[in-house]
Amino acid sequence: MTKFYVILGVVAIVGIGAVGYSVTSSALGAAAMEPVEVEGLDDLTLLAEIAQGVTKGDEDAPITIIEFGDYACPGCGGFALSVKPQVELLLVETGKAKFVFYDFPITTIHPTSFLAARTARCAQDQGKFWEYHDALFRNQASWRLEASPIANFLGFGEDVGLDADEFESCVKSDRHADLVTANMRLGYELRVNSTPTIMVGRPGEFLQVPSATFQGIQEAMDRIGSPENAGGAN
Amino acid sequence: MAAPPMNRMVVAVLAMGGFFVALYLFSHNLGLGGPIVCGVGDCATVQSSRYATLGPVPVSAIGVLGYVVLLALSFMGLQPKHRESRMIGGLLLVGSLGGGLFSAYLTYLEAFVIQAWCQYCVASAIIIALIFVASIPEVARLRGGS
Repeated sequence: MTKFYVILGVVAIVGIGAVGYSVTSSALGAAAMEPVEVEGLDDLTLLAEIAQGVTKGDEDAPITIIEFGDYACPGCGGFALSVKPQVELLLVETGKAKFVFYDFPITTIHPTSFLAARTARCAQDQGKFWEYHDALFRNQASWRLEASPIANFLGFGEDVGLDADEFESCVKSDRHADLVTANMRLGYELRVNSTPTIMVGRPGEFLQVPSATFQGIQEAMDRIGSPENAGGAN
Repeated sequence: MAAPPMNRMVVAVLAMGGFFVALYLFSHNLGLGGPIVCGVGDCATVQSSRYATLGPVPVSAIGVLGYVVLLALSFMGLQPKHRESRMIGGLLLVGSLGGGLFSAYLTYLEAFVIQAWCQYCVASAIIIALIFVASIPEVARLRGGS
């Protein structure tokens, strides 16, 4: 019987240790890396309320330029570094359009992009979404193939002047996992199947830009802005 | 005095292991464990599916309770005055068979309905199957009677 009690005790100690570690490490913060179950996303009205892009520019601008983007996608990196600055300078800052970014992490090929999207939302909590967003893309090559890029993300947060403790606590949690999941779902509903997907238009009337270039965006703006297209394509 | 039944010792050790596997899943259901840790499979899909609960009760909670009962029964069945107990033997057999069938149903759901695997659920299914196998000698005890 002594041997039995020893084995039973060992199993109990290992079990207590494993479950205890899981719970305490979560209390210290385990970062949500994947989409989560969010109630109500099947209802498109609710989905439209839950999903939220981040807007740059005048909320009342006549045209909206939407990007569904993945922080680990090299194409999105290229768009962020070469096209978006032109869009901001010539279209957003002039009041012709506003730019809205929606998270669309393609987790099947970029396992850390969901986490990256969440961390950008954590930066948004501190009012530095765009600074951090740009830092993620600028430094994409340094983290996109890392298995666990949390340290990189915390470093970018520090670089853009985020409160380190608050940011780390948000990153190492499941905060904003529901929002990022909802944005992904919105993308699927809009038939987004690659990134960056750029759409140009106004509420209820959007054109998908065939190539994510400045010229493509301008052409789409011209089409959506012309009278014969008013109330047209969706 | 009869020797402590080896099969009940095996059941106790297995039930202790199964208890912690179920407790791990249950802690996640309670939001205490953060995101579930998965090396292989897709626990998040399984655990967030509608089959992860029976009404308001998480399936993992049923697992925790089931393993506690099996552990208590086997432990009691090892005490000198209960070593030949047919009632404990019968309860162990019925309990492990019921748990095994329930677990088989959950495994079927994972394979054909949810189409995702949670390795902790698979581990629990294997443990309960082994507990049932370890409980089979109780049949002889039931037939022999005391």
